Amino acid sequence: MAAEAVEGIRQPLVTPRVRRWLVSAGLAAVCCIWIYPLLWMVSASLKSNAMIFANEGLVPSQPTFENYVKAWNQANIGAYFFNTLFVTVGSVAIVTISTAMMGYVLGRRRFPGRGLIFALIIFTIFVPQGYTIIPVFDLLTRLGIGQSLWGVMLATSGGSFVIFVLLFAGYFSQMPNELEEAAKMDGVGFVKTFWYVMLPLSRPIIVTVVVMQTLYAWNDFLLPLVVTLANPAIRTLSVGVYAFKGENFVDWGGMTAASTITILPVVILFLFLQRYFIDGLAGAVKG
Amino acid sequence: MSGLSLQSVKKNYGATPVIHGVDIEIEKGEFVVFVGPSGCGKSTLLRMIAGLEEITAGDVYIGDQRVNDVDPSHRGVAMVFQTYALYPHMSVEQNMGFGLRMNGRPRQEVAARVAEAARILQIEELLDRKPRQLSGGQRQRVAIGRAIVRDPEVFLFDEPLSNLDAELRVATRLEIAKLHRQLGGSTMIYVTHDQVEAMTLADKIVVLRKGVVEQIGAPMDLYDKPANLFVAGFIGSPKMNFLDVTVSDGSVVLKDGSSLALTGTTKAVPTVLGIRADQMRLASAGEGAFSGEVSVVERLGDAEFVYVRTAWDQEIVVRVEGGSNTPVGTTVGVVLSGRTHFFTGDGLAIEGLSLTRN
Repeated sequence: MAAEAVEGIRQPLVTPRVRRWLVSAGLAAVCCIWIYPLLWMVSASLKSNAMIFANEGLVPSQPTFENYVKAWNQANIGAYFFNTLFVTVGSVAIVTISTAMMGYVLGRRRFPGRGLIFALIIFTIFVPQGYTIIPVFDLLTRLGIGQSLWGVMLATSGGSFVIFVLLFAGYFSQMPNELEEAAKMDGVGFVKTFWYVMLPLSRPIIVTVVVMQTLYAWNDFLLPLVVTLANPAIRTLSVGVYAFKGENFVDWGGMTAASTITILPVVILFLFLQRYFIDGLAGAVKG
Repeated sequence: MSGLSLQSVKKNYGATPVIHGVDIEIEKGEFVVFVGPSGCGKSTLLRMIAGLEEITAGDVYIGDQRVNDVDPSHRGVAMVFQTYALYPHMSVEQNMGFGLRMNGRPRQEVAARVAEAARILQIEELLDRKPRQLSGGQRQRVAIGRAIVRDPEVFLFDEPLSNLDAELRVATRLEIAKLHRQLGGSTMIYVTHDQVEAMTLADKIVVLRKGVVEQIGAPMDLYDKPANLFVAGFIGSPKMNFLDVTVSDGSVVLKDGSSLALTGTTKAVPTVLGIRADQMRLASAGEGAFSGEVSVVERLGDAEFVYVRTAWDQEIVVRVEGGSNTPVGTTVGVVLSGRTHFFTGDGLAIEGLSLTRN
């Protein structure tokens, strides 16, 4: 009996170790294709305009930082960088705090009209950004911040908060009731319970929201383009990079250098926060 | 310390009533246990006292103050939750002092009260740890500590031992009993589904079923004089044996036709005879009230529970001395040697009736 059973086991063609190695090699190949445009961009930023189309491969033969210096000083990328930083930091603060508060109430409180509010919030996901630009611009103008970085910051904060509210609502709704009840027995009020008990516990979601809103605010193009159209001094990076494309001439070296400066902070942020970020998303899906 | 009084307290969830008018008087310093099967409303009742559930009708008094509409934190009660409900991101010290800190108590006072509670519970060396670094028993202590820090009139425990393993449960049970004495006899209300916890801890037991109080009394009163079939079956382990009987000529007749003479008079007609496992003994086949076949023997060491299958196919449990080695499958006689209980068809206990000894 025992001998028969052993014969019945099918021997695999490759050992688990070899299989892991093969899978890794395959994934690495796919990854190279995936990041090729990025590598090309970084490579081009280190070449002169003449060398970019000289077909010399990814590694520049005469690397130069001239493009970076030019972009930072002449093309105002330095100023745009700080504009973008201002808009991003401001909108991340507004979005994180407001979506956490909205998510807490929607996730944990039962009140009349809750379903309707959820439905309306979710509905806004389906409205394309292009259609909301004009009313948003009109609103900013009426508020008197149509031509300022504050306007860009505020408008950017409104763009993607729905998903974050849902993330927070989902996370808060799974927290045990006893935590709130214990705080209630301790005589701790609604706002303090949120601030001192619930918010610190939602750190994975906070990190997720910070990363995603940073990406969104940093990379947003259409809205800053419209708001800063009449005032080039308050351009953000994504709009500034676009300005390298002249009517008759495109400064590829300057543009790729500016683009590299643009994405560098985002890449660094992600490297630092990726573990929390992935935890947050995984947690949200599990719920 | 204060006593507590519940007067015709009712609770509805929507249209569904879950507590049907409960009256309970609790003296100050008393250790009261609410016990009953799951869904009997014991936790709901505790949460109503705590202020976590609204009271649909009736009044709750703590001391002589009506607290129906008083905020939970102003009722002078502190609650220990089944799941401990410790704040995961705070250290033990912060957990215990959180309520006081949030209510603007001076730093020194908070520190002193936390230190005092930690001393009582012997958790001084754990103060810097986070809850996830603690064992179940330690978390339980911290949860109790958080209650002690508040210096409440009344302690409320909601199944505090349910999440502990069997050994720790016994140890912690003992600790809670000691704590009650140590805290100068604070009033404590303790909810459990475990009748052993109820019997061992309580000064007074409240047995609940389906939102109704079945009986209130001292543990041994409930054990010796259960008011009805439910209490008789619920209190005591193993469960009381119930034998269906009919009455004829001053005797009760068992299902196999054997008849037992009665002493005492009553108008009520007994239909159930209840007898606990330790009030019977085994004899040779043919002797005693009836005979049956031994189906299972549970050995506990000091005692054995012998399950006897009767002629009418009912399993009766008899407690015998440990080491009796009663073989399974033998036919034995069962002698009803001790205290018996009689119940009417409605399940109510009948007073003043017993079997005639011969």
